[in-house]
Amino acid sequence: MPLPEPMADIPHLLLVDDERSIREPLAQFLTKQGFRITQVGDAEAARTRLAAYAIDLVILDIMMPGEDGLSLCRHIRETSNIPVILLTARTEETDRIVGLEMGADDYVVKPFSPRELAARAKVILRRAASGGARQHAPEAGSYAFAGWVLKSGERTLIDREGVSLPLSTGEYNLLLALVQRPRQVLTRDQLLDLTQGREAAAFDRAIDNQVSRLRKKIEGDAKVPELIKTVWGGGYTLAAEVTRL
Amino acid sequence: MKIRRFGPRSLAGQMAVMVAIALFCAQAINFGMFLHERRQIRFEQVTLPSITRVVDGVERIAAGRPLPDGDDRGRGRVLLESTNPIPADAEPQRDVEAGIRSALAENGLTTTTIQAVVRVVLPQDPRLRAFGPRRAERFARAGGELIVAVEQPGKGWITLHAPWPRGGGPSVWQLIAQTLILYGAVLIAVLWAGSRMARPLRDLVSAASSFTPGGPVAPLIERGPSDVRAVTGAFNALRTRVTGMLDEKDRMLGAIGHDLRTPLAALRVRIESVEDEGDHDRMAEIIAEMDRTLDDILSLARLGRPSEPPTEVDMAALVEAVVEDFRDLGADVTAEESPRLRMTLRPTLMRRAVRNLIENAVKYGVSVEVTLVQGPGCVRIGIADRGPGIPPDQFEEVFDPFTRLETSRNKDTGGIGLGLALARAIVREAGGDIELANRDGGGLLATIVLKR
Repeated sequence: MPLPEPMADIPHLLLVDDERSIREPLAQFLTKQGFRITQVGDAEAARTRLAAYAIDLVILDIMMPGEDGLSLCRHIRETSNIPVILLTARTEETDRIVGLEMGADDYVVKPFSPRELAARAKVILRRAASGGARQHAPEAGSYAFAGWVLKSGERTLIDREGVSLPLSTGEYNLLLALVQRPRQVLTRDQLLDLTQGREAAAFDRAIDNQVSRLRKKIEGDAKVPELIKTVWGGGYTLAAEVTRL
Repeated sequence: MKIRRFGPRSLAGQMAVMVAIALFCAQAINFGMFLHERRQIRFEQVTLPSITRVVDGVERIAAGRPLPDGDDRGRGRVLLESTNPIPADAEPQRDVEAGIRSALAENGLTTTTIQAVVRVVLPQDPRLRAFGPRRAERFARAGGELIVAVEQPGKGWITLHAPWPRGGGPSVWQLIAQTLILYGAVLIAVLWAGSRMARPLRDLVSAASSFTPGGPVAPLIERGPSDVRAVTGAFNALRTRVTGMLDEKDRMLGAIGHDLRTPLAALRVRIESVEDEGDHDRMAEIIAEMDRTLDDILSLARLGRPSEPPTEVDMAALVEAVVEDFRDLGADVTAEESPRLRMTLRPTLMRRAVRNLIENAVKYGVSVEVTLVQGPGCVRIGIADRGPGIPPDQFEEVFDPFTRLETSRNKDTGGIGLGLALARAIVREAGGDIELANRDGGGLLATIVLKR
């Protein structure tokens, strides 16, 4: 039975990391950012806290002695709807993909910026609060459309013949935003919102520019686009059926 | 200049040729010894007695004594004939002639003409009938008749007829035939033994040259002669040891990476309490730089065992994607559009190689131009800048890990010169290379050359 929540309007985060040197200052920082933090050093303690409190979001280190983060992530997903952000190292790329496929909502790579982590946590909490169904993590799985496959785990676009076309970060983020919302009209502002924040790269260049580059890559004739259509006065839309693989 | 080698290069082939040469030499020596011995015997048994008898005959004639009747078997009789019995078509024997001449000269006797010939005697020769049966048989067996004639002026010719052994011995053709038969028998054995050795050795070569210390590989089957088995066994052990060491290295690198990143991550969290925004940003940048360097070191150390499989990639899109990333960050990088170019390579690593070269160009130069040219059998990705360039004698040095040219390049711009080392290691792993050249009008041109 969850205990009654004394500060229901303050989001309650569970921070799971075996490294005190990261966990303690991070908890301090996140508290300052307006979160309520419960911090634990291993998966077992995390399980008891999850049962005892109404946790709004779990921040979870993948590499931990004993039961690791992936296993705990699976447990959380099986038993609840609590969103999860993974803390990963760059060398744990496969672990990260597995984690995302297991239902983690997002990830940050060590050494991460605590501000970015806080921003992501807020986005996920806002999405959960707005009653929207939990969205799949942006990087889990692949999307097939009009003969193309966008492999999000590997960030590559693969054509009909199986040849991969590497995409720039901007192009990738834009295409990902489009394939996740097929047949929706997305304004330039919306696209800018959706494509920002994941990488440190600055996205000052116009969305139009990236759209035209993407068109050159995936349209038969970039002058007469069939896939990424311009909606006059509105923005852009992906005019294709998208299948999640 | 290279000396061309003749003959087969394989083990079995070389063994076969060596055995052939050795056999032929041995046979030739045997043959020579045989001929020599035969000549020796003939000299002792025929030539010497003939000379003695003829000289004796000449002495007797000169002293006015009668010629002997020969021995009881009528052998080697010396006659005094009125005409020269030497047939015109017979083969002269100069050694016999010279022997008689010198023997006569020693005894103080002089003569005018000395002739010694050998006539062929066939078993059915009609003249044999004139001889007694035993004598005829001896002549027929010898196959030749030595005829010696010494002219005694005014008295006629002192003559001698003796059997002369000729032919019957091995000829050169016999020698070759013998050698070939022997060789044929030996060759089969040699080829069999050779292939027994060569097959496991071939397996060993292909296993050694295709050895990429990745997943588990079945050990080579130890077969063939025991020496070859031992080599195969040693190779198997070596491979296991190398794989084990690389596994150990990977584990260690993983641990180092984790152990260095953790304090780095802790530091990154800590700097959020720094009040001064400028200080904070600079610290964050330094931590990011350390992280990148750590990443480069780990990538370079792991490059021998890349985890990413090669896939078919559009090289033009790859180069363009990297260039666009730099342009998105506001760097002055331009690239011309190029048509699709399918290549099989490890995309993430190659992307990193291209990125490192462009990063280097952006760091040290201005107005970076990237070109992609498809040449015959190769693809050239040129990255040209308008920076200070590099002295040509330091082209090799810049690729050494942890080297940075302090002379022409600015120390404050960060990096420890690992970027180029990593780029070249990646390109070389893909079977290509990086070429450096200084441009006309200043600046450096780095070219990734990849085979297609």
